[in-house]
Amino acid sequence: MTQTPYKILVVDDEPDLEHLMRQRMRRDVRSGLYTLYFAQNGVEALERLNEVPDIDMVLSDINMPRMDGLTLLAQIPNIAPDIRAVVVSAYGDMKNIRTAMNRGAFDFITKPIDFQDLRVTIERTLKNMEEWREALESRDKLVRLQNELNVASKMQQSILPTEFPDSEHCEIYANMEPAREVGGDFFDVFGLPGGKIALAIADVSDKGVPAALFMMSSRTLLKGSAIGAIEPGAVLKEVNDLLTEENEAAMFVTTFYAVYNPQTGQVDYSNGGHNPPLVVHPDGSSTLLPGTDGLALGVFPGVNFGQSAVMLSPGDLLLLYTDGVTEAMDADGEEFGMDRLQAVFADAPPASTEAANKAVFKAVHEFAGETPQSDDITCVTVLQRQA
Amino acid sequence: MEISVDRANEVLIAKVEGRIDGANAREFEDALNGAIGEDDSKVLLDFSTLSYISSAGLRVILLIARLLQKRNAAFALCSLSDPIREVFEISGFDKIISIHDSQAEAVDKIGR
Repeated sequence: MTQTPYKILVVDDEPDLEHLMRQRMRRDVRSGLYTLYFAQNGVEALERLNEVPDIDMVLSDINMPRMDGLTLLAQIPNIAPDIRAVVVSAYGDMKNIRTAMNRGAFDFITKPIDFQDLRVTIERTLKNMEEWREALESRDKLVRLQNELNVASKMQQSILPTEFPDSEHCEIYANMEPAREVGGDFFDVFGLPGGKIALAIADVSDKGVPAALFMMSSRTLLKGSAIGAIEPGAVLKEVNDLLTEENEAAMFVTTFYAVYNPQTGQVDYSNGGHNPPLVVHPDGSSTLLPGTDGLALGVFPGVNFGQSAVMLSPGDLLLLYTDGVTEAMDADGEEFGMDRLQAVFADAPPASTEAANKAVFKAVHEFAGETPQSDDITCVTVLQRQA
Repeated sequence: MEISVDRANEVLIAKVEGRIDGANAREFEDALNGAIGEDDSKVLLDFSTLSYISSAGLRVILLIARLLQKRNAAFALCSLSDPIREVFEISGFDKIISIHDSQAEAVDKIGR
C-alpha cells in the first residue's frame, strides 16, 4: 500500500523554526512520511489551508502578529473541519492551553520544543485523525457503530505513553488491558521540573465514544494543569473545575495524581475518588495510601482537593491500579478484591515493575477464569531503587 | 437488575435488586426515570438487595441526583452493603449524596 505523505502545516513567527523543523524532521520528510508547510501567522496559515487541499494537521504557536493561534483555531473548522490542531504554548500557560482546548485543539506541546515529544505528539495526533476519518467514511449505521467503538478503543490506546523513566533511582512501568467493550481507563507518566515525575491513573465513568472524548480532554487538562501547578491538590482542583464547567452528561473520572521525586522517594499525591494505591514493601507486606478527602472529578464544581505525602524507601513498590483489578469477577460473581491483590505480593515481591504488573494481571485472569472481562485493567507501578 | 417501587410518608422508595454495571446502566436510568413521577419531591433508593454497582451505575445516580436537585426534591440512599458503601466512599460520592443505614431512618429524615 502506498501512502501519501501526511501534510503538516507549521505556524510560527520565529523564522528559525522552519529551518530547525526541516532539519530535525528531514528523515521523515525524505522517507515520504510527512510533507511540511510553513506560515508565519494566522492569516498566512489560512491562506495555506485554502491553497493546499487536505492538510492533515496544524501545529501552531499562540502569540503571533496579524492573527494569533487562538483566533486561527477558531477559524480552522470553517475551512477544514476534520483537521487536527496542536498548539505550542509557553511552559505552564494554562490559560491559553485551556482556551485552545475549548476551541478544539487536539493536544499541546510546550516551548522550548522537545523534538522527541513533538514527534510522539504528531504521530498520536495523525493516528487519532485517521481513526476518525475511517469512522466518518462509513455510511452504514451498524458498521459505523462498530467503527466508533473501534475508534474509541484506538483513541484510548493512542494517548497512553509507552516509554517510561528508568534511572538509578527508579523504574516505572504501566500498561492497560482494555475490556472488549470500550472502557475509560487511562494513565500518564511525564517529567516535571527538578527531575520530578508526574504519575496519573484514572477511570472514566462511562464507555464508548463520549467516554473516550471525555477521557481525552481529562488527560490533556490534567497534563496542562500539572505543568502549571506544583501541588497535586491544586492540579486536581483545576481539572475538576474545568471538567464540571460543561458536563451535562454527568460523566466523571476518578483520578489519582502524584508528583514523585525519584531522588528522595517522596510522593506527594491527591486522590480524586480513585481506588487507593498500594505501597508494597520488600518483605512482601503492603499498605494502602490513606485518602485525601477527595471526590471524583467532574462531579461537583469548586471543591477543594486535599493532598498527602508518602516516602518510598529503597525497594518499595508503589502500585496504582483501577477498579478493573479489584472488581474483576469470577463465575460466582465474587470480586477479586483488595485481599487477593495484596496476596499477589505477599510471598514474592516482584523484582521489576513490569514483573509486578504481569503478576497482577495473571492473578486477575486466573481468578476470573472464563468470566469475560467487563472493565479495563490498568496498573502503573513505580519501584524505588536501592540506593 | 429489578426495581420495585413503594411509597411511604410521601417518599418514593425504589428498591434495587441485583447488579448495576455498564451493560445495564441505561436500563437502570430509564427504569428510575420511569419510576420517579413529576410530583415526587422525595426519592429514596433502597440498596439492601443491590449486589454490585460499577462507575457507570454511579453516573446514573449522579444524573438522578442532579435532576432532583434542579427541582428541589430530596434524594437519599439507604441500606448499602459494606462493599457498596465502600464504592461510594472511595469515589467521594458519600460527600454529595446523603446515605442512611436503614430505610426507616431515611424515611424519617426526608419524609414528613
